[in-house]
Amino acid sequence: MKIPKPLQFIIVVLVVYGLLKAPGLLLGKPIPQSVIFMYMLFVVIAVLLVMTATDESTEELFAPVRALVEDPSKRLIRNVVFIILPLTAGYIAYGFTKTGGGQAGLRSVHPAPPLEMRAYGKAFDLSTLVNPLRRLEKEDPAEFKRNVEEGGAVYFRNCFFCHGDKLDGIGHYAHALTPPPLPFKGRDTIAQLSESYLFWRIVKGGVGLPQEAGPAESSMPAWEEDLREDEVWKVITFLYDYTGNRPRPLGR
Amino acid sequence: MSGETVKKMSKSLLTILLLLSLAGLAASQPTPSEKGREIYVSRCSWCHGREGRGDGPAAEFLNPPPRDFTLGVYKWKSTPFDEITPSEDDFVRMIKGVASHDGIQGWAGMNGTSMPGWNDTLSDGEIKALTGYIKGFGQLEKAEKPSIDTSVVKPSREGVERGRGLYKDRCSECHGEDGRGNGRKRLKDDWGARTWPRDLTKGWTFRAGSSAKDIYTRVTVGIPGTQMPSFADPKSSKRLTDEQRRDVADYAASLNEAYRKPGAGDTIRAVRVEGDLPQSPDDAAWSKAAYANFYLFPQIIAKERLYKPTLDSVSVKSLYNDSNIAVLMEWDDPTRSVPGDEKAAELAEGEVFADAVAVQFPAGKELPYFGMGDERPVDIWHWRSEGGEGLPQPIRLIRAKGFKNISEADTAPSGISAKGVYEKGRWRVVFMGPLTGAGKEAGQMDNPIPAAFAAWDGSNGDRGSRHVLTGWKTITLERKTKGGYFWAVVIALFVFAAELVWLRSAGKSA
Repeated sequence: MKIPKPLQFIIVVLVVYGLLKAPGLLLGKPIPQSVIFMYMLFVVIAVLLVMTATDESTEELFAPVRALVEDPSKRLIRNVVFIILPLTAGYIAYGFTKTGGGQAGLRSVHPAPPLEMRAYGKAFDLSTLVNPLRRLEKEDPAEFKRNVEEGGAVYFRNCFFCHGDKLDGIGHYAHALTPPPLPFKGRDTIAQLSESYLFWRIVKGGVGLPQEAGPAESSMPAWEEDLREDEVWKVITFLYDYTGNRPRPLGR
Repeated sequence: MSGETVKKMSKSLLTILLLLSLAGLAASQPTPSEKGREIYVSRCSWCHGREGRGDGPAAEFLNPPPRDFTLGVYKWKSTPFDEITPSEDDFVRMIKGVASHDGIQGWAGMNGTSMPGWNDTLSDGEIKALTGYIKGFGQLEKAEKPSIDTSVVKPSREGVERGRGLYKDRCSECHGEDGRGNGRKRLKDDWGARTWPRDLTKGWTFRAGSSAKDIYTRVTVGIPGTQMPSFADPKSSKRLTDEQRRDVADYAASLNEAYRKPGAGDTIRAVRVEGDLPQSPDDAAWSKAAYANFYLFPQIIAKERLYKPTLDSVSVKSLYNDSNIAVLMEWDDPTRSVPGDEKAAELAEGEVFADAVAVQFPAGKELPYFGMGDERPVDIWHWRSEGGEGLPQPIRLIRAKGFKNISEADTAPSGISAKGVYEKGRWRVVFMGPLTGAGKEAGQMDNPIPAAFAAWDGSNGDRGSRHVLTGWKTITLERKTKGGYFWAVVIALFVFAAELVWLRSAGKSA
C-alpha cells in the first residue's frame, strides 16, 4: 500500500522529532529545546525540498490543502481550520512574549588546553607531559597493576559520587548536576584525549576551564587542593585501565 | 620409621596429589565461584570490600552504607519475615537494578543509594555467578520459603480510605503525620548506621519501588536489620491482617507528591502580581505560581565536604511586582533544628545547628562561579531557623567573591526579608527583596535571572560549607501581560489576513 504524500511528510517530521526528544524522555538527558527547534527547521525544509522536486509530487503533497480551500463541499472544515490556525499562532506568540524564553548556553565540552600549567609548585608543559606511570605497563606490570589499584581507591574516595560506579558519568549525585559529569566508559571521551589533558582537567577542575567551556557552571573540583600529583596520575591510569581505553598519544 | 607409617604417608601423599591434579583441572576452567569472585573484586569490592564486610574504600563516604554481606542480612527482599534469605530474583533485582516505575530519571540502580544498576554491564550468567559468590560471604543457602504473593494487591480508593486510620496508628510515629519522614524517634540499623524513615511523599526515593505492591511487600516483609518491622509477624503487637496491610499500602502509595519530583527543567517562572508581594508562605497568592523542583547535591567540591546529606530536593516558586521579587522555597526536613532545643537534640546526629536556606544571585552582569562566586561577586540571601518558636529568624545578606572572600552587609537598607514556617516535616521559607538586589538592573526586565539555592539540615551537622546545593538555575519573569496580548493579536490577525488572501487567489484561479 502506498502511503499518501501528505501523510509521509507528517510521519517523517514526527519520527525525527521523536528521535530528538528521546534522549530527554528516556535517558533524562534532554537536547536543548533551541537546538531541537533549529534541527526541526532544517528537517522540514529538507523534506519539503525533496517532496516538491517534481510538479506531480508537489501537486500530491498539497492536494488536501488545495481541496480545503477550493472544494466548496469542505467549506465547514475550512472555516474551522481558518479560525483555529490564527488562534494557535497567536497562542504560540503569546507564549514567546510572556516569558523571556530560554537561552541555550552552548558550551565547549573539550576546550583547547593551555600550553603551560602551574601546579604543585612547578610548571608543566602540557604538550610534552607524559604519565610517569605509563612506562611501568611494560617494564614492571605488577607494579603497574598496584598503581592502577591505588588509583581505583582514589577514584572511589573522590570521583565516583558524580562520575559513577561504572565510570559511566552516572554517579548517585549526577542527576543533580548541570552540566552532567562526563563518562569515561565508551570511546568518545578519554579515548580521544591524551593523559596530559586529563591531568590538566583534574588538577585545575571546572573553575580552571577557559571561558567558552562554562567555568561558572561546572562542579568539577580543582583537585590540586586535595590530591597529590602522584594520586592524580594513579587515578588517570585507573580510568584507562577500568574502561579498556587507551590514551591518545601526545602530539597527534 | 615403621613400614606401617610409610604406607600411611604414601597413601595420604597420593590423595593429596590426586586432589591437586583435580584442582588444576578445575583451574583451567573457571568455576562459577571463581567467575563470581573475579567480577566481585573488579566491580563490587570498591564499596563492599574485598571480604564482603561493606568496608571498601568508598564505604566511609556513603549513607546508606554499602551492605555488609558477612551477616547475611538483606534489607530489600520479597521472602517472608521468617525467611532470612532473599529469593534468587531478589538478588537479580538488587544487582541488575530495575528502572523503578517512578525512579530518578537516568538512574537504574537502587534509588537514594549509590548502588547502580548493573544490567548494562553484567550478563545474566555473570549475575548468577556473582550472586552465588556474595551469598557465600554470609553462608546463605537457597531460600526455603517462596516470595510473598503480591497479586492480591489491587489499589482502590476505598483501600486508601481504610488505610488512613491504620497509617496514623501504626506508621506515623516514624514516618510522620503526613508521611514526610519526620518521625519522633531516633533510628539506627543493626550495623550502627543512622537511618531516616522514608519520606513517603517522595516516591522516587523508595529503594525498591513505590507502587502499592512494592509497599505491601515492605509492610509484610519489613526491612531486616532496621526498625521497620514486619506487620505480618503474629508475635508483633502491631500485627496487621493481610487486608489491612493492603489498605495501608494503598494509603502510603497515595501520599506520593509527584508534582514535587524534580524533572529536567532548570527554569522557575516568576508570575507578575499587582500590588504587594506575599510575605508569608501561607499567602493565597502563591497558588498563582507553579513549582519548579530541583535535586540538591551535597557540597563535595571543596573542604569541608558533606558526604552524608539528609536533604535531597527543593521546590521553588517565585512572584514579582514592579520593584520586588519573592521566592518561596519548600523542602522536606525530618527535623526542625534549633540550637539549644532539647527535642531537636534528641533526634540530632551530634550537635544541633540551625536549619538554613539561601538563594544566590550574580552581583554583576557576568555569570560568576556557582559556588559562591569568583572574581565576579555574588549576593547571597541567607535565612536561619535560629531562635525557636516566635523568635526572630536571622537573615543575612552576604557578598562573596569565592568562599574564602566573604563580606556581610546590613540587610535593613537592602530591603531584604525572609520568613520561615516549619510544619509536619516541611520547611517553607519566603525571601523577599528588590529586583535590583537580585542582580536585575533597571530596564533589563527581559533577561532571565540566574539563581542558585542551598540548604542546611542542622540536625545532620550541616554548617558552613557542609550543606546541599544546586547549580545555577534560571528565574524568568513573566512579562507584563499587556505586551504579550499585543503580539499575540498581531500575529493572529496576520495569519488570518494571509488566509483571506489565499482564499481570494484560490477563488480567482478556480
